[in-house]
Parts: sequence; C-alpha cells; structure tokens
Amino acid sequence: MQKVLGDFIHALRQAGLPISSAETLDGLNAAQLVGIDNAPLLKQSLGTTLTKCLEHRLIFDQIFDQFFNSHNQFNVDYGPTPQTAEQAGEHADIASPPTPMLSLESPLAQQLMSGDVSGMQVMIASAAAASGAQEVTFMTQVPLVTYRLMQALGDGALQQELAEMADHDENSAELQLLRQRRIRLQQQVRDYVEQQYLAFNQNEPSKHREGNLQKISLTSIDHRNYKLMGELVRKAAKRLASMHSRRRRITKRGLLDVRRTITANAAYDGFLFHTKWKSTRVERPKVMVICDVSGSVSKVARFLLLFLYSLQDVLPNVRSFVFSSSMEEVTKLFEEQDMDQALAEVLHSWGNKPTHYGKALNDFETMALGDIDNRTTVIMLGDARNNNEDGNIAVWEEIYRRSQRVLWLNPEGQVNWNSGDSIMRKYAPYCSHVETCNSLRDLNRILGSVLKHEA
Amino acid sequence: MIIRNQDKINSPDTIKQQFESLGYICSDAIATSVYLACHLQKPILVEGPPGVGKTELAKKTSDLLSAPLIRMQCYEGLDEAKALYEWKYGKQLLYTQLLKDQLGDVMRGAKGLDESVSRLHQFGDIFYSDEFLEPRPLLEALRTEDGAVLLIDEIDKADQEFEAFLLELLSDYQISIPELGTIKAKSKPLVFLTSNNTRELSDALKRRCLHLYIPFPSKAIEQKIITAQVPELNDKLKYQLVEFISELRDMSLKKAPAVSETIDWARALLLLNVDSLDHEWVKTTLNLLLKFQDDIEAVEPEIHNLLKVATKEN
Repeated sequence: MQKVLGDFIHALRQAGLPISSAETLDGLNAAQLVGIDNAPLLKQSLGTTLTKCLEHRLIFDQIFDQFFNSHNQFNVDYGPTPQTAEQAGEHADIASPPTPMLSLESPLAQQLMSGDVSGMQVMIASAAAASGAQEVTFMTQVPLVTYRLMQALGDGALQQELAEMADHDENSAELQLLRQRRIRLQQQVRDYVEQQYLAFNQNEPSKHREGNLQKISLTSIDHRNYKLMGELVRKAAKRLASMHSRRRRITKRGLLDVRRTITANAAYDGFLFHTKWKSTRVERPKVMVICDVSGSVSKVARFLLLFLYSLQDVLPNVRSFVFSSSMEEVTKLFEEQDMDQALAEVLHSWGNKPTHYGKALNDFETMALGDIDNRTTVIMLGDARNNNEDGNIAVWEEIYRRSQRVLWLNPEGQVNWNSGDSIMRKYAPYCSHVETCNSLRDLNRILGSVLKHEA
Repeated sequence: MIIRNQDKINSPDTIKQQFESLGYICSDAIATSVYLACHLQKPILVEGPPGVGKTELAKKTSDLLSAPLIRMQCYEGLDEAKALYEWKYGKQLLYTQLLKDQLGDVMRGAKGLDESVSRLHQFGDIFYSDEFLEPRPLLEALRTEDGAVLLIDEIDKADQEFEAFLLELLSDYQISIPELGTIKAKSKPLVFLTSNNTRELSDALKRRCLHLYIPFPSKAIEQKIITAQVPELNDKLKYQLVEFISELRDMSLKKAPAVSETIDWARALLLLNVDSLDHEWVKTTLNLLLKFQDDIEAVEPEIHNLLKVATKEN
C-alpha cells in the first residue's frame, strides 16, 4: 500500500500540488484508519489530508480517478474472473480460484492462464519500475517502453512457446486462448504506460514554458500568450500579497507603559487605576501609479496596470492614473469593473495617442498633488519620449519633494534613454530610483523592493 | 473526550447519523473529515462561502461529544493577550499598593539594600502566579479537564503573526508562557478553524490541518436541512423553495443565498402562511434572500422565469 500511495503522491506532485512529507504521513495514517476497500471514503480521506485548498482539491479528484482507474484496468478479466473486479487492485493477496493448470512452460504463459489478476498486476508494476515507464517524457516513447515492458515480463519465452504450440497443433483451443490473452495483456501494458505518462509527465512541459515566459520581454509577447501571462502576473502578485499582508495591520495593544501609567495615576495618590499601553503603529504605504499608455509603451502599461490591479489586495491605497496627452484617474474604474474589461476600456480610451508629458503632469498637479505626503510612493511608467514638447519638470520636482519615494520604470533599455525625443535625463534627478522594466521578473523584483522598504 | 464517545464516532456513517439526530444534515465529506480529525487528532480547517454551516459544524460537534465549546472570534489586531492569556495588571497594581504596609513590616529591620532585596526574593513570584493569570480562550481550551471543542472563527481576519503563533498550539497542543513555562493540554481539544478566504493562509498553518471545503449543499441535502430545521413546512413549498434557491445560485450575483438564508426564508414563508410560491410573495420577501440592492434589482425582473422553473414539476 505504501508503494501505491507513494506513487500516487508522486503523481500529485508532478501535477503541481505541493505535498510535503508530513502530509504524506498524514495521508498514510488516514488511509490506514479508513482502510482501502471503500474507494469514495479513501478519496475523501486522502483529499482532506493531502490538499489544502479548493483548487488543489479539484486537481486531486481528477488525478485520483485517473490514477486508481489505471490500477483498476488490470481487473479486466483474463478468463475466469476473480469476483473482486471493482476493487482498487493494489492488494496482492486476493485469492483467486485457480483454473486447472495446463502443461505450459514459460512463466508468463502460466501466469496468463492462471487468471491471477493481482499477481499479473504486481508483475507489470514491478517490471514497469525496472524498464523506466515513469520516465516517459514524450508520447512517442510509449510503444518502445511497452515493448521493453513486455520483454521484461517474459514475452520472449511466451512467444517461443506459442510458436512451438503452433507447430504442434495449429487449431488447438488452448493456443487460441493463449494468443488472445497475450494480445489483451499487450493492450493492458500499453494502457499502463500511457497512464504513467499522463500521470507523471503531462505537466512538465508547462512548467518549462512558465519559466521561459518570465524572462521574455513584455513587449514582444504574442497575443496567444497574453492570457497565460496574465495568470503569471496574478500569481506573482498573490505571492507578494501573502508575503506582505502582515504589514497591513494598524495598531496593537502592546506592553504596559509603566511611566505613563504612573503619571496618569498621580492624581489618585499613587494608586494605579488606569493602565496605559505602549502601542505601535504600522503604516500602510500609499501608492500612486502613473501610466503612459501611448503607442510604444502601451503593452507594458497593460501589464503594470494588471499587476497593480492584483496588488490592490495588499495595498488598499493604490491610485492609478493613465495618460497619453491628458491624464485621467482610473482607480474607480478598476474598482468597479473586472480586470479584463477595465484594462480594455483604458487602452481603448487613452491608448495609442501621442504623448505630452508636460500637459499630463499639469493635470496630475490639479488632481492629486495635494494628496501626496511623506508616506506616498509614486511610480511612473513611461519612456519619457515627449515629442519635443515642454516636459514641465517643475511639477515632477514638486512630486519628488513631497513624496517619500519616486520610482520611474522605463520600458526601454538604458542605452536608449535620452536618445531622440526622450528626456529621461531631465526627470532622472528627481527620482529615487530609475529602473529598466520590461519583463515580469523586473516588475516582480521592483515591486517587491517597494513593499519591503515602504511598510 | 474522544475515548468517552468512541461509540458515537466509530465510523463516518455513525457520525453522519448522529449529526442528523442533532438536526445537522451533512455530506459524506464533512462526516469523513470529522471522523479523521477525531482519530488522527488533527485540527480541521473549514472553508466555504458564508452561511453554509461552518460555525454550526463546530457547535454540533461539541454537542455530539458533549464537550464544552470554546469559541474565539478572530479580527484584525487580535494578539496573544486576547487569545491566550493576560496578566491581571490592574489586580497586580492594586495589590502592590494595598500590601505596601505589609511590605513595610517585612522590610523592617533589614540592614542595607542587599538584605531587603534578598528578603523580597523569599516571597517568590507571587504576582506572576496563577492567581493573577487571566486565561483567554486558547489557554482555557488547553486547561479543560476532559477536552473541549475549540472553534477559531474566521482565522483569515487575524494577522499573519497570529497564525504563526497558533502553530505551536495546533501541532503539539501546548503553549509557552515565559513566566510559567510550557503548558500542555490536559486532554487534547478538537480544533476547528474557519476561513472565508479573504486572504491566503500560510502553508505552515495549512499543513497542520485537515482541509474541508463546504460548498452549497445539493438540492437533496438542502431539502433535508429544511425538513430538519423547519419541520412544519409542507412538502410542495419545500420543493419549490429549494428549486428556486438553486436557480438563484446559478445567476451571477454579488452574494448568492446560503443555507442560513434558505432557512430564514422558509421560516418567514411559514409565518406568512404561504402555501405555494407566487410572484407577489417572492417579490416582497426577496430581501430575506439577497443582501445587496444590486442583486435584488437584478433578480426582480427574472422572478417570473425562475418561478416557472421552480414550480414546473408540481
């Protein structure tokens, strides 16, 4: 049983479920407690011990059915059926009524004719471990591994015996039966290998792809990967959220403040009636993010907005602004509409228009400058390409002076800054950080450091 | 507690029947989890939408095991002083003041500071003894002689530090108090944690718990629940009610009606002497089911269609 559960848990891990060894032990204990005869009960018990959220539970259910179904398949009758066909077949001790033994020599033939389902199954499982069925990485390897497995089971000797029997008497019923059973066995083995492939390796490629996606530059992703990318962003945001959510706390009661207690009670002749407490206040950072959504940067802007949209869980005080030539606050829009809709609307209304930083900063001055205080972080996403207009540096300087931190994330590589109509060098002195940001990894790192220093 | 009630919890089916006799209708998943929690002595983390009976499960379990239910409601800013124990500061201060004279007597005749201090030491830590300890829910649960059912409600509302602080309790059933040492459970309590999923709980906490997700009940179970809770309701209305609610849950609403709302509604209809659902009654009592004006406005024009489906069979 341990071996089967071990394999099962390995299959779960391959599917991306984080199952620790402690949980494995719990699972084993639970399985021992409820027994393995009752499949639905076993499924519930393992499910409740091994998985820790609904999403994982659904994957678990799927894999449980797939995995134990593959075990059940061996109960397809090879002849006289032992009456245990519906049992999940991991126990090797099922007693089956042996059929009268024929004068067969090869062990595989004997096994086939004996109709011993569980014995057969144990043989396949142990042969599979030896021939590496769990390491199948591509679907195309299935026939080869099937062949190897058949050989390991003693198919060579069986075939030889079949040939001898055919020489002896081509039409004997025994020969026909044995041939039939061999073909059935072959199918079983092939199914087994395929199941193993599905259970153990199906999810590997997607893991590779996610890793690669993190590194790909945001501007060059094709539309097909957009959705997947969005999920990645959400995942990263969630990780940050759970990492930093503790900073959301406002006050705690803390320790008795002896000095203040004594002072406060001086009036009562030194009798201490009113207790005073030391309390700590943890600040919530305020973030304002300004996004340039014009032409060249709009694709990156989409992702920064997406990321910040998801981050609203951690930072309740995110205010978002978008601009191309005039600026608009979109915080409300983000709150009211769901992510895809909101982003589509922003890009539709403001996207792909010519940039005018000076005018946009003027708008910002009237809208939000007064709200910036020394706990505010301002993030600007833009390439500082201003179409040779006035940059209105004074407003940016004022923002820098009032806020605690100003981040400028430029989607262009550093070599391109200040080339052409880019006026990055004029804004740069009034930024606490200027970073290149054009991939998810950059975004993740930068926002992580914002959260770390702000709280 | 576990041993005493062995016959009531010797299989998931027994637990299910016992719950039913207490008026709590549950699915196999719930019964299995409670069974495992009792026998593996692990806490259960219960998740699910509001109003499906998460808290009720703990209450009924405490009834089943006839053990006291100790409930701790979590909220932002909850700390160990409110969850575990606190010194009775006021009492400590008052006593020191009142005992001033006594102290004077004790000190009389002492030569020098050294002797005074060593005399004081002879009295030991009077002010940090059990007398001055104010036990809070967690400590109380550990100190209960014959085991208790401990309900830590809405753990997701508490801070992450608090979660970390719970880890020792959940895995070893013991807590450390610096002044008194480690306190072990006299008899291991059965712990329920509930969460509405407003934030992700830490993996360390999840690892120590069994996980139980309670979804909205199936129609059959919901009918049984209403039968148990509002037995006077006639079968036809019960059927219509459950069908109607399940249609509502399929609509995209801000907050779908949960079991508790179904029960409220059933009680209200009984009170109003309604014997079959019709448009007018649904419209006037819709505010019992839906808690957002937006939802009510979205559902009102649909009532006719929903009713058609709900009353079709009868």
